[in-house]
Amino acid sequence: MPLSRRAFLMTAAASLPGLRSVALADPAKPDQGLAGQALIVVFLRGGCDGLSFLAPSNDPDYIADRAPELRVRDDGAKPGRSLRQTCDPAIDFRLHPEAAMLGDLYDGRHLALIHAAGLTDGTRSHFVAQDLMDRGLADSSGFRPQQDGWLTRVLKAHPSSAPAIATTPALPGSLAFHGASLAIPDLRGGLGLPGGPAIASALSALYAGASDPFGRSAAETLRQMDLVDRRLARQADGRIIPYSPEAGVAYEETESGRALRTVAQLLKMEIGLSVAAVDIGGWDHHDNLGGRFSSLVGQFARALTAFWTDVGRYHDRVTLVAMSEFGRRLRTNKSNGADHGHGGLMLVLGGRVNGGTLYGRWPGLASAHLDNGVDLAVTTDYRAVLAEILAVRLRLGPAATADIFPGFTLGRPLGIVAA
Amino acid sequence: MTLPADRLLLSRLAFGATPDSLADLDRLGTEGWIAEQLSAGPEDDAATADRLAQTRLHIKYAAGDGFAAVDEMRPLGCLGKDVTLLWPLTDGKRPMGGPERSRPRQEMAAATVLRAIHSRWQLREVLVDFWHNHFNVNAAGDQAIGAALPAYDRTIRSHALGNFREFLEAVATSPAMLIFLNNRSSRAGNANENYGRELFELHSLGRDAYLNALYNRWRDVPGALKGHPAGYIDQDVYEAARAFTGWTIEDGAGLGGGQSLPVTGRFVYVEAWHDNYQKRVLATDFDPFQPPMADGRKALDLVAFHPATARFLCTKLCRRLVADHPSDALVKTAQAVWTETQHRPDQIARVVAAIARSAEARQGFGAKVKRPLELVASFVRGCGIEATVTEGLLNELDGSGQRLFGWAPPTGHPDDMDYWLSSHVLRKRWTLVLGLSDNWWGTGVLSPGQRLDGAMSAGQAIALWHEALTGVPPDPGTASAILSGLAVPADAMLPPGRAADPVHRRILALAAMTPAFNLR
Repeated sequence: MPLSRRAFLMTAAASLPGLRSVALADPAKPDQGLAGQALIVVFLRGGCDGLSFLAPSNDPDYIADRAPELRVRDDGAKPGRSLRQTCDPAIDFRLHPEAAMLGDLYDGRHLALIHAAGLTDGTRSHFVAQDLMDRGLADSSGFRPQQDGWLTRVLKAHPSSAPAIATTPALPGSLAFHGASLAIPDLRGGLGLPGGPAIASALSALYAGASDPFGRSAAETLRQMDLVDRRLARQADGRIIPYSPEAGVAYEETESGRALRTVAQLLKMEIGLSVAAVDIGGWDHHDNLGGRFSSLVGQFARALTAFWTDVGRYHDRVTLVAMSEFGRRLRTNKSNGADHGHGGLMLVLGGRVNGGTLYGRWPGLASAHLDNGVDLAVTTDYRAVLAEILAVRLRLGPAATADIFPGFTLGRPLGIVAA
Repeated sequence: MTLPADRLLLSRLAFGATPDSLADLDRLGTEGWIAEQLSAGPEDDAATADRLAQTRLHIKYAAGDGFAAVDEMRPLGCLGKDVTLLWPLTDGKRPMGGPERSRPRQEMAAATVLRAIHSRWQLREVLVDFWHNHFNVNAAGDQAIGAALPAYDRTIRSHALGNFREFLEAVATSPAMLIFLNNRSSRAGNANENYGRELFELHSLGRDAYLNALYNRWRDVPGALKGHPAGYIDQDVYEAARAFTGWTIEDGAGLGGGQSLPVTGRFVYVEAWHDNYQKRVLATDFDPFQPPMADGRKALDLVAFHPATARFLCTKLCRRLVADHPSDALVKTAQAVWTETQHRPDQIARVVAAIARSAEARQGFGAKVKRPLELVASFVRGCGIEATVTEGLLNELDGSGQRLFGWAPPTGHPDDMDYWLSSHVLRKRWTLVLGLSDNWWGTGVLSPGQRLDGAMSAGQAIALWHEALTGVPPDPGTASAILSGLAVPADAMLPPGRAADPVHRRILALAAMTPAFNLR
């Protein structure tokens, strides 16, 4: 395993005292963030049905438990896109037809997939599962309400001069208690203050030296907003020049499209973006799974493809990981939906990703192999994927990783990313 | 930093102080004021009812296939309407402009803001807002939930200070909730677990009582073998989901044999869809073949009277009314009243009274940040703008993160300050008060210059507006920060009459951006 040895060496080197600060102090790269890397974490909120996203299309249990219109087909008018993989040669894994275009990123070896991934804890609660994953935990025993997020701890281990970005109105749990963050649901109108410079000067005076939580957050917000706002391209009259993606790229006006467009724009502004948290909601398909999943996964796949083309110049810097709090029940319910399940799908996209591979171990769908007899089991701890990216791409050492994912030790890397 | 006692109370148990509410509080005393507020019925006071009846909200759309263009100011005609009257909005075959279909949510949001600003029964409005979040439904983008929303609001209003067990059943049979958490399509066989799960986790016992990580079998849960399990696990969720099969709405669904349900949108129990066999919820056996709805009602009894529910609901009420992190002692006080009165028709009013009368409710300014709705309502109440609600204001409020009747997760809006202090929400807060001062959304012109007698310096104007909003004069740092925004010295005289309005507006907006006005 040359790759894992290399990953190990990188990890060891990064943990030597002094090395990282030397890298950060490099005056030629003043604003390079996390070892020059941009980590983009997409959370598909609501419990994305991994069995519809990347379906074991010919598995007899899959076929038996899901009506034809509620599963991805390996035949018929709209079959899924079959992927080459060695994870389980007996299974014909197919991308949902609406996400078929992701097969190009996979075949181009930029996209890696990990099936049967997720929380090892057995919770089927959205809010417990999301809180645990946002905080980098394995189970509720370590959860405290005032706990910071795993991305907050990444930034603590490897401070960045640029703000962390969330594309949501407020920070997701993964960035909880990270002061230097900006929530930017949409960058089209810029980040200036209402009321212009007069209000700006009054507000900075108003919150200077504040000791209450409102005043402190407001002061920090003014600082962070200014960092981004002054780098937005403007016309002579001060109006913001609308963002135009690369030729041939169009983002849709969907949650996926808006969020990934914002991330692409920030990457290209060279503010040193190192961490972006993207939430895409709406995956809680207790009813009408067929229609609702198709439409949402199509939006996501198109946004991801647009983003990847748009940031072509930045591929070597970008690692994007997508995950969800859990997958959904194998057997559908009477509402033609699927209730909360367990194992799900993770996606890793990046220029240094060893793509075109389906990672992890496929546990199978026979009753005896299902978690609690009903749900796809988890064979890859979600933290194994995240920790490997931190170790290999962000060069965080074992001590930092242990702080970011308490109680978790990175074993042999899966080999998803290259140094 | 703190506020005078009356101001602090009105920032927690009301949507902020007005001169009238301060006078009421002074006249009645705290006890009397709380008692009067809690004795009010679910109906609007006459002045607010009149105001709602006079309010017009813009609606505009282009002509389409089978319908004409509309561009008019229209009364809030959906308010109070039964679901059946609004159900035609969900009929995709009926030609109509898109804004007609989303109109109920717009009107409900407008009415919510108006009531927050104007209602005499402020504490009830605070509680109605609490329960709409506790029993959250999302009508944004879902016309059926929108059509059921005015009726749902009536349900919430009539139970907001009532009995929790009755409230729970009223919600469980509400078309809005049946649609939102999918119970409408749940049937025997593979029941839909969405409502069953959130009933436990969000509506009653709460996530601290979800013991699934600890126990795989119901009998292993502590207390289960004595019939009093400490919490719930997935097995309880599965069984509860079975108990509610057949609780649905009349949406025209086929019943087999050529029969189908009527199309009214109203609640109905369909025996043929119910899972009749024996069940076990919270270590309690349900016999097979119970009378209509008995299984669901028994499940509601079990969760409503569970001690974890008392704990969870009282914690949430204390968090809303007092502090992000209320003391254990306060929660326990409320919990004792909750349990003691759990069969009384005014259970919730008594719990609220216990919380409102506590010492903690009158201390610890700054334990919460106002949510945007509170910010808007308290701003208008404090400065006395004669404001109405417009589409523009509602859109801005939506963009601030407080999406009235449009919050997607079933949790309701977050109730701790972290969420409301993000950079985005802060920017929107600044925008909201500035836009209201400067009438960006047509809510009403603020023209204090004419009303104020005599000459006034910039410094005096700052003191005037800061006191109007907070009840205390600005500290020197605050005053000088506002002066720097005006770029004038404190003793600069404002021009006479209306010419001073732009300065007043700016001062007012800045005074509303202070920590003193944003915390409570």
